[in-house]
Amino acid sequence: MPESRLRSRANAFDAARLRASVLRMAFAGSTVHVGCALSIIEIVAVLYRSHLNLGDRTPRAAGRDYLVLSKGHGVMAQYACLHELGWLTDADLDRYFSNGTRMKGLSDAHVPGLEVTSGSLGHGLPVATGLALGAQRLRSGQRVFCVVGDGEMNEGAMWEALLFAGQFRLDNLVVIVDENRFQAMGPTQEVISLGSLHAKFAAFDYDVLSVDGHDEKALDAALDDLMARRNGRPKAIVAATVKGRGVSFMENNNVWHYTRLTKETFDAALAEVEGR
Amino acid sequence: MRATFSRILTQAAQHDERVLLLTGDHGYALFDEFRKNCPGQYINCGVAEQNMVGVAAGLAKAGFRPVVYGLAAFVPMRVLEQIKIDVCYEELPVVFVGDGAGVVYAQLGTSHQCTEDVAALRAVPNIGIVSPADRFELQYCWKHLLQSKGAGYLRFGKADGGDVHAAIPDAPVGDLLQARPGKGDWAIIATGSMVVAACRLSAALGGAPVWSAPVLHPINRAQVESIGRAFGGIFVVEEHSMAGGLGGLVAEIVAETGGCRVIRFGTRQFSEFCGDYKYLLSQHGLDDSTLLAGMTSAMAREAP
Repeated sequence: MPESRLRSRANAFDAARLRASVLRMAFAGSTVHVGCALSIIEIVAVLYRSHLNLGDRTPRAAGRDYLVLSKGHGVMAQYACLHELGWLTDADLDRYFSNGTRMKGLSDAHVPGLEVTSGSLGHGLPVATGLALGAQRLRSGQRVFCVVGDGEMNEGAMWEALLFAGQFRLDNLVVIVDENRFQAMGPTQEVISLGSLHAKFAAFDYDVLSVDGHDEKALDAALDDLMARRNGRPKAIVAATVKGRGVSFMENNNVWHYTRLTKETFDAALAEVEGR
Repeated sequence: MRATFSRILTQAAQHDERVLLLTGDHGYALFDEFRKNCPGQYINCGVAEQNMVGVAAGLAKAGFRPVVYGLAAFVPMRVLEQIKIDVCYEELPVVFVGDGAGVVYAQLGTSHQCTEDVAALRAVPNIGIVSPADRFELQYCWKHLLQSKGAGYLRFGKADGGDVHAAIPDAPVGDLLQARPGKGDWAIIATGSMVVAACRLSAALGGAPVWSAPVLHPINRAQVESIGRAFGGIFVVEEHSMAGGLGGLVAEIVAETGGCRVIRFGTRQFSEFCGDYKYLLSQHGLDDSTLLAGMTSAMAREAP
């Protein structure tokens, strides 16, 4: 069913539609963490559309590639993609945050299609590293794409995992940093400055590319380029993004890490992302 | 007990190639046999315990059976959140081994001692907790750990007090095992290193029976309840904090089921001073003479 539905849609994982889904969920559930979902829309869109091997296109397909959302706060972006796949329904989106439903405000592995429980930061990348090591040992050809936040790079466990992946030559692991330059309490530069993440990955001997994280063609090209290099080195993409991307009053405005949509702001935001 | 651990771990890996040993750069000499026989299944994750548990979770999701080894002070204490979120929430089959539990790393100080692991893990759903007293209980526990579909924690010390049993116990998982038959109004329930001590004290207490509790979770609650009804009092002894360990567990069950008085013996404060294992045990009142004094005075106090 999902496949036929995708074929019928020339524009599967259309970024504007994904953003509209995020807004719809955020309004329905009166939830926060809108800005950090909007910054990863193109990243997850290109992964689902063109890079992830989804096997038989069921959520737990054997041999599938893994998309691990380590920055669990952006989960609405991934829900929007699962909706495109038909794994979540319109009703799931509209009932977001209702009592007794499964979809929570942070990534949760009990939801079919989500691989890890994260949002306590610094968990997803270590688990992704274990998945990549498992795939390497099984020679399964599976690849692991792990989306992490730049704020998340404050966590020591992230650097433990990066070192480990290098040591074990996990060239089936791609770490994609959503570098939106904000974390919960302010700009990363003012909280814990990360300097050049690109230089840090390079120093860790990763194959690293820096791209515009909202340019789908650039993301596709970077992923294609990196995945062609099976040279024993883990991969990284530093994706420059804008927190709140697509909604002018949310862009680079960190209050949208915490602010809930009203009817007025929802209508205004939806009009913007739908180009009305 | 450690030689037995090395042997059964190696056998498990030889028997099942999905068994992988992960260590945080610990286990010098302990894993010589494993590394010799199963070098491909040995993964030194470096001094990075948080990542090690995440990697174990990923490997378990990919179909492997990771055994994560560390000093108890680090596994589970340092990585409690990883155990909770990455492993237990998803009910993944990862075995955690906390070596050197209790105060056996005496002179090395507080950073290497661990007397709060059972309390911490008892509050986490979906993980079994075992604390064998000797090499036979270890094999009994190990079988259950490997057969479990979910996570488990194996706690053991470093000092080997000798055998309690003569053979591998044949009992359902969770049973308390009679370590010393006896009679009287008081019984002793102990776990891990303290079972041998409890057996030594039995005679001086008029032949009090001693049960060993190698499985702390899931424990056979009905059996604890029946001991609580059959005796006038129970002494619980463990090389673990008096808060939240076996003593607390027995007290909870007995209190809920209307049984007898329960008196706990366990560790108390951090130790400020350096000293050997025996010295540390005495600081916590877990040496034979302090235990005996505490028990006999309780018996006199409670006598009808």
